[in-house]
Amino acid sequence: MFEARLSQGALLKKLLEAIKELVTDANFDCNETGIALQAMDNSHVALVSLLLRSEGFHPYRCDRGFSLGVNLNSLSKILKCAGNDDIITLKADDNSADSLSLCFESPSNERVSEYELKLMDIDQEHLSIPETDYEATIVMSSAEFQRICRDLMVISESVSVDVAKDAIVFSAEGEMGSGSVKLKQNPSVDKPEEQVTIELNSSVSLQFSLKYLMNFTKGTPLSDQVMLGLSENMPLLVEYKMDDAGYIRFYLAPKVGEE
Amino acid sequence: MGIKGLTKVIGDRCPNAIKSNEFKNYFGRKVAIDASMSIYQFLIAVRQQDGQQLTTESGETTSHLMGIFYRTIRMVENGIKPCYVFDGKPPTLKSGELAKRLERRKEANKNLEDAQELGDAVDIDKFSRRTVKVTPEHNAECKKLLGLMGIPYVEAPCEAEAQCAALARDKKVYAAASEDMDTLTFSAPILLRHLTFSEARKMPIDEIHLNKVLEGLNFTMEQFVDMCILLGCDYCDSIKGIGPQRAVELIEKHKSLEEIIKTLDNKKYPIPDDWPYNEARQLFLNPEVLDPKDIEIKWTDPDIDGIVEYLVHEKGFSEDRVRKGVDKLAKNLRTATQGRLDSFFSTVPSNPKVPSKRKVIIIKKKIIFFSC
Repeated sequence: MFEARLSQGALLKKLLEAIKELVTDANFDCNETGIALQAMDNSHVALVSLLLRSEGFHPYRCDRGFSLGVNLNSLSKILKCAGNDDIITLKADDNSADSLSLCFESPSNERVSEYELKLMDIDQEHLSIPETDYEATIVMSSAEFQRICRDLMVISESVSVDVAKDAIVFSAEGEMGSGSVKLKQNPSVDKPEEQVTIELNSSVSLQFSLKYLMNFTKGTPLSDQVMLGLSENMPLLVEYKMDDAGYIRFYLAPKVGEE
Repeated sequence: MGIKGLTKVIGDRCPNAIKSNEFKNYFGRKVAIDASMSIYQFLIAVRQQDGQQLTTESGETTSHLMGIFYRTIRMVENGIKPCYVFDGKPPTLKSGELAKRLERRKEANKNLEDAQELGDAVDIDKFSRRTVKVTPEHNAECKKLLGLMGIPYVEAPCEAEAQCAALARDKKVYAAASEDMDTLTFSAPILLRHLTFSEARKMPIDEIHLNKVLEGLNFTMEQFVDMCILLGCDYCDSIKGIGPQRAVELIEKHKSLEEIIKTLDNKKYPIPDDWPYNEARQLFLNPEVLDPKDIEIKWTDPDIDGIVEYLVHEKGFSEDRVRKGVDKLAKNLRTATQGRLDSFFSTVPSNPKVPSKRKVIIIKKKIIFFSC
């Protein structure tokens, strides 16, 4: 038996909005510690890894590990039928689930709607991701990060990210001209969500596709802050933390010059 | 052409060996393209609205140059790095097949004349496409154009498919691109089909993995080659009455052509008198190719003035369009290419699937992240 009740249903709606553009079908791997999902986009450039901890649900029950193969677009459509304040309950038979049942209750408990989503067999993907020590770790406002990506998209399809001791520079060069945004480290700003903190072991300079970054920033509603992890010649990590409920992490392969 | 019915055998027996991908997913991939096959396609397919080939004012055909120029640009624009491979001398075993093709072309020529006599437009179109032949001049013109475009090409000593396969096997390129299924028989690890097709056709690229084919059929490479010979290849006749179904079954049962010949009912399935199956097999397993280690594949900047001089002034192309095309070439050579997560993290094959009630099955690869 699998049952998970989420009092903030909006969280699930936002999560699906954040990943459904990147991945079409994926497995939700459920076990006693929570619900996890890992999937790559079709061209194997980006990867999404999300975790919803069991602590975020009240109650959460999962007797044995199993996976729910879901078409994310369909799930997102069904979740659109839930109100933002609704309580969402997910239920499935962990033995031979061929569908996932979703129940939406309005806060006043006067309206209860139920949906069933057919499941698919998606050949199990298992990814073991070690905690990596990045050469540069930046924490900044997620809205600011979204704005930078959106602004530089005007100039070019790709952005160079350069991190030095006390500042991070995003720059783009295109046919019509060039542009750059520099953010200085400012850990002492009053509003915590506007802080920019940089932890640096060595300076890095990498190039990424803005199209993918724009896609990642669909995670902005999930958190006020975003964490970027960069190392030379390594995929970029973009992480949105959902307080204690879990996280969503995006990985993006860098662009490489001529060998 | 190629191996008769191999696509169907693979589709029926090991469907997961074929993956369909969008053209744009091949960014950053180097591919070896069977040039002769592509030029042949261009001569057939790149036509005016009235079905006539494109020509210069003096009547020289330019369909092949048009094809090579714009389809190559389309690939480069999508981040693909093409390398063309041209046919060398045909192997002696192919003379029978070539004679047959010549015969068919003669027949088509005759039909074409008849049709022109009668003025039947549909027939004229049909038969004129059948009379198409790639001449050494076509090849030479394409090589000249590729040289100006800064796109590398390789002249194979013998069959181009075999050379493409050798390049892919040696990891010089990601895959071999050809419509000819015998590229797999020449043991190309990955074969791409439809790569040089027109964008307008919206054909997805079929990616066929040889290891999955062998796994699915449960054959060794030698058995696979024997099966292809039974199906019918360019180098020797096939046995009458043996179709795809029976060819697979015979190899499954007897494991080799020698054993099959011993047990086969000669009355029902007459083996051709002159049947050089062993030579054909050797041709597939040890084809005459250049050692990929000695081949350097390099993409260089296009010679803009050279291309304009050649295509516009000599061949009568529109200057405006040619310049735009060359700009795209130059631009894409300079920009950095998008990396793939697979090149940072290694993949491992997935577990055997547990049967279940769910209907839709989607196969994905497993990935393991390195710790770094």
